[in-house]
Amino acid sequence: MNGWTATATAVLALGGGATVWGVATGPLGRRVVAQNLSTSLACPVLLLLAQGYGRPSYVDLALVLALLGPVGTLVFARLLAEDLEGDPPGARAATYAVAVFGATVVIVLCAVAGPGRAMVKLLVTGALLVAGNLVASRALAGGFSGSRHG
Amino acid sequence: MTRRVRRWVLAVGGAGLAALLVAACPALPPFGGATHPYGDRVVHESLARQTANTIASVNFDQRAFDTLGELGILFASVIGTVVLLRQTRDERRAAPEPAAVSLPVRRYALIVLPVALLTGLYVVAHGQLSPGGGFQGGVVAATALHLLYLGADYRALENVRPIGLYEVGDALAASGYLVTGFAGLLGGTAFLANTLLPYGTFNTLASGGTVPLLNAAIGMEVACAVVVLLARFLDQAVEIEKESGS
Amino acid sequence: MDDPLIVVALLLVAACATAAVAVRDPERQALVLAVLGTALAVLFTVLQAPDVGLSQLAVGSALTPLLLMLSVRKVRRRERGKGRTR
Repeated sequence: MNGWTATATAVLALGGGATVWGVATGPLGRRVVAQNLSTSLACPVLLLLAQGYGRPSYVDLALVLALLGPVGTLVFARLLAEDLEGDPPGARAATYAVAVFGATVVIVLCAVAGPGRAMVKLLVTGALLVAGNLVASRALAGGFSGSRHG
Repeated sequence: MTRRVRRWVLAVGGAGLAALLVAACPALPPFGGATHPYGDRVVHESLARQTANTIASVNFDQRAFDTLGELGILFASVIGTVVLLRQTRDERRAAPEPAAVSLPVRRYALIVLPVALLTGLYVVAHGQLSPGGGFQGGVVAATALHLLYLGADYRALENVRPIGLYEVGDALAASGYLVTGFAGLLGGTAFLANTLLPYGTFNTLASGGTVPLLNAAIGMEVACAVVVLLARFLDQAVEIEKESGS
Repeated sequence: MDDPLIVVALLLVAACATAAVAVRDPERQALVLAVLGTALAVLFTVLQAPDVGLSQLAVGSALTPLLLMLSVRKVRRRERGKGRTR
């Protein structure tokens, strides 16, 4: 166990536990936000694990999650648009906190990796992660408000 | 059988299963051990054939025949879905209504779509080197196309998705896998034997003999199969309606 | 091995899977299932099986929710169509 995996364990225990609680209870708006935050939390965790295990190829998992996680949230935002219309979920503070955490992890890992192909991959993952997280939460808060049957 | 008796039967069965499981646990090898007789042999074989990702070596070289079975399962299940979800006589198609998508979401979808397609291809092409392979990359690429549905509307997706082409691609990729297998047979060894191509240099794109070829065939098969599968679901959910009045 | 990490990942998967069974409404179940998919991918990575983790991520994060939600939408539309008298 090193610092990277210890951080990943802490984030997984606190953040993962909170998102599971959030997605399993409460109104629909809170559940979709928790689903979005679960992917944006798991992605930095996977990056930390790749660094902690010393296996750069594990970064592929974080890259795929950064790409497809927000797509999954867009699916819910699109197909639950009618149900979310009455009470659009906000959770701005939590969303930004998770986005800042993801960006911090990516920047620290970039500093450790040094310039090169690995750094480019990390930066692409980080950009997709933060942009996807923010766009997905924007979509949940009424991005598909006009759509009914499309 | 009353509710109470049924509960008792369940409790007895569950207790028996639990007892057997607990009794079996001490005989298991220790959790997370560093050595394993099968693992050591597999790693040795995959290194002998210059395949950096041992899992790819197992899936597409040592146990390539099993993967053929999995390919068959996916192929057959997609055919089954296509038959079940076809448009029946008492249903009609309604044109999908355009959706109002906010600008950031639309932009995000259009930017991420090519990135995701490229990532899918990357995962397929690096199957013999890093985690991933045909299945994973194929699913990513197929999911990427559906960003058009999420970021715009169903008509935009239909414009770039001639479904017949994907059905043909699915069949072609599946037969490509078979042809590679028979090529091994004609080459004088065995069905799906990895003896045709040079093994190449370790940890480069062109390594592992037929592993990258089979990976590409699986990637194309899975991508086409997922597109066809989702097309049927989308048709049913968005377009096909019961004939009004019936 | 990193035992606390394995324990945390296992507990997360167990809690999430239990929640997926306990939640009744199919839409909310799909949401829990999406989170379960992510938790499973982390567990597979922790157990050093990144290939399986990648499969789980590819299928579980967008494809399964899309299939489930489209099915729910179809069923709902049919119910609405029945309720409507034309």
